[in-house]
Amino acid sequence: MSIDQQISAMEDGRNLAHADKLDGQGLKQLVEAGMTWLRTNQQIVNALNVFPVPDGDTGTNMLLTMQAAYAEIARSGERNAGKMAHAVAQGALMGARGNSGVILSQLWRGLARGLDNLETINGPALAQALGEARNTAYKGVVRPVEGTILTVAKDVAAAAETAVAEKTELVDILEILVEAADRSVNHTPELLPILKQAGVVDSGGKGLFFIFEGMLRYLKGQSLETPLASVQPLSSMKMDEIEDIEPGQDYEVVIDFRPASPLDLEHFYNDLTEMGTSIQLGEGEGMYRLHIHVPTEKRYSPIDYTMQLGTITKVSIENLMAQMEDIEKAKVSKLSLAPVEPGQVAVVAVSPGPGISRIFGSLGASAIVEGGQTMNPSTEEILRAIENLPTDKIIILPNNKNIILAAQQTARVTVKKVVVIPCTSVPQGLSAMLRHDQDGNIDQIAEEMEEAIREVETGEITVATRSVELNGVNVQEGQAIALHNGKLVASAQTVDEACLTLLEKADTEDRERITLFYGANISRQDVNRIVDGIRSRYPSHEIELHEGGQPHYQFIISIE
Amino acid sequence: MKEGNNPLGNIYVSYRAISTVAYQSALQSYGVVGLAAKNLAEGLAQVLVKDPALGVDVRYDDRAIQIDLFIIVEYGTRIKSVAASVSDNVRYQVEKVFGLPVSQVNVHIRGLRISNPD
Repeated sequence: MSIDQQISAMEDGRNLAHADKLDGQGLKQLVEAGMTWLRTNQQIVNALNVFPVPDGDTGTNMLLTMQAAYAEIARSGERNAGKMAHAVAQGALMGARGNSGVILSQLWRGLARGLDNLETINGPALAQALGEARNTAYKGVVRPVEGTILTVAKDVAAAAETAVAEKTELVDILEILVEAADRSVNHTPELLPILKQAGVVDSGGKGLFFIFEGMLRYLKGQSLETPLASVQPLSSMKMDEIEDIEPGQDYEVVIDFRPASPLDLEHFYNDLTEMGTSIQLGEGEGMYRLHIHVPTEKRYSPIDYTMQLGTITKVSIENLMAQMEDIEKAKVSKLSLAPVEPGQVAVVAVSPGPGISRIFGSLGASAIVEGGQTMNPSTEEILRAIENLPTDKIIILPNNKNIILAAQQTARVTVKKVVVIPCTSVPQGLSAMLRHDQDGNIDQIAEEMEEAIREVETGEITVATRSVELNGVNVQEGQAIALHNGKLVASAQTVDEACLTLLEKADTEDRERITLFYGANISRQDVNRIVDGIRSRYPSHEIELHEGGQPHYQFIISIE
Repeated sequence: MKEGNNPLGNIYVSYRAISTVAYQSALQSYGVVGLAAKNLAEGLAQVLVKDPALGVDVRYDDRAIQIDLFIIVEYGTRIKSVAASVSDNVRYQVEKVFGLPVSQVNVHIRGLRISNPD
């Protein structure tokens, strides 16, 4: 809406506020207002959803339902309130999405029935219709669960009875209804244990609250497009993402406090905008967490301000610039794993080093088990990784001969379908990774992976810990040694030599690509020198270098 | 039915256990006002025996569970959304309670109940 349209709409709202009855057009305006305010706050409602299923994204579902309801009447000039309500209910029915959407559509249906053919709605008619709405909604389920949108509807209907006995103006009545809805929503954790556990209120109830609040805000001429101080549930506060820091914002201040009396959010928010930016407010059990960025000279202002409002329980002040540097460093080495959904195929990879873990993650692995110093994770660790994934189709890449057995053990212990690919090295594992398809058939993928690992040549370079003669190769303690596909093939004075000898033994001439993963026990300088040497020896080959970070092995080499 | 392996022994989950959970979950889903017999024989049996899981059919194919629900929906709701909700709800609850994968939940609308004629 343009500013002019917004202002004119706000004026219409204020005009309606003091009326003591509502006609079809008035109802239409309220429906639009409720929908708009819900849209503005839909993410807050989405964030409250506790179950992964069944009602994902309650806010969006309820909004879609309201939008369908409004679409039905958007161009209607109907003056009869009852007929308008029936049209709204029809639209809501057609567009009902998700659990909450269906219940919302039932509420509209009941409301419409309650209003029947009424030309205008006054207080008592509204109360009666809200009661009818509640009845209809409750009829739609055999075992209604309290602590949900149904409860809020019930409490609002009850409040309406008393409200219309005392007040006649729409704005006054709605004020009471909104307050009742708010109280009911905040009470839902007491009725539904899982809400209390998660530290949230019921999402459907909150959505309904926003619809009523939107109508009230419209009548009061308040804005419907900008969210109020973005109060979110504490659990959903994202505080570790710092985007660009605006100039003049030097410190991040986070304050946990308990207000002595209910917060006037609008004033609170406005006062804070005078001090700084990036304001976030999280609501927990009886407490708030405030997050704000302030310039150095104002770094204590939020604390002084909040102290006046109640009791401060915790304060943290952090230097943003310094934080930024740390984050940059952390971003570089952040491990991102592929998310997976139930029904998809997930890969669990065992990795000897962080760099290699990152690569598996970027190729689509959903879980990494750190092999550790001994490259010997327990069956339990692998099992935990499997059980923590939301799907029941798992492929394990052990990437080490010793781990294959442990991995196969987990397959016997879990109820999930687990396939272990017998890859004995990281290069094999990576090559298998490339054959992965989350939406594919697990047996087919496994077959392709097993084929792929047969085509990869693996080289490992390390330093001998003792003298030995093996496979016709004489090794002195401290010498560099090269293993080809797990077999000792060469020893040399330097790591450089060992690498080149390995490549020779692996018939690299006939291949096209060499990938090197350097470990934690070799300097970048040495790595660069060695890679240069390899490049000059094999100028027409594709050579890739990665930081593997693995212990013990200076290099893990993949030749394809 | 399905045995889960446990170091101390085997775990057998009966179809009846699964259908009971599915039944309860279905009844808690919004829009479902009852479950129905899938044929005359079953309907007759229901009169004679108090079946705690009527209207639920459970199958297992060695990999995952398939469930068929025969439900009665409240007239005036969006049936497609109600069916999707029930399907999600039942799958979620069964997987959560038993830890067994559910590959299919088929919803059969056996009828509508008209509480409030519009």
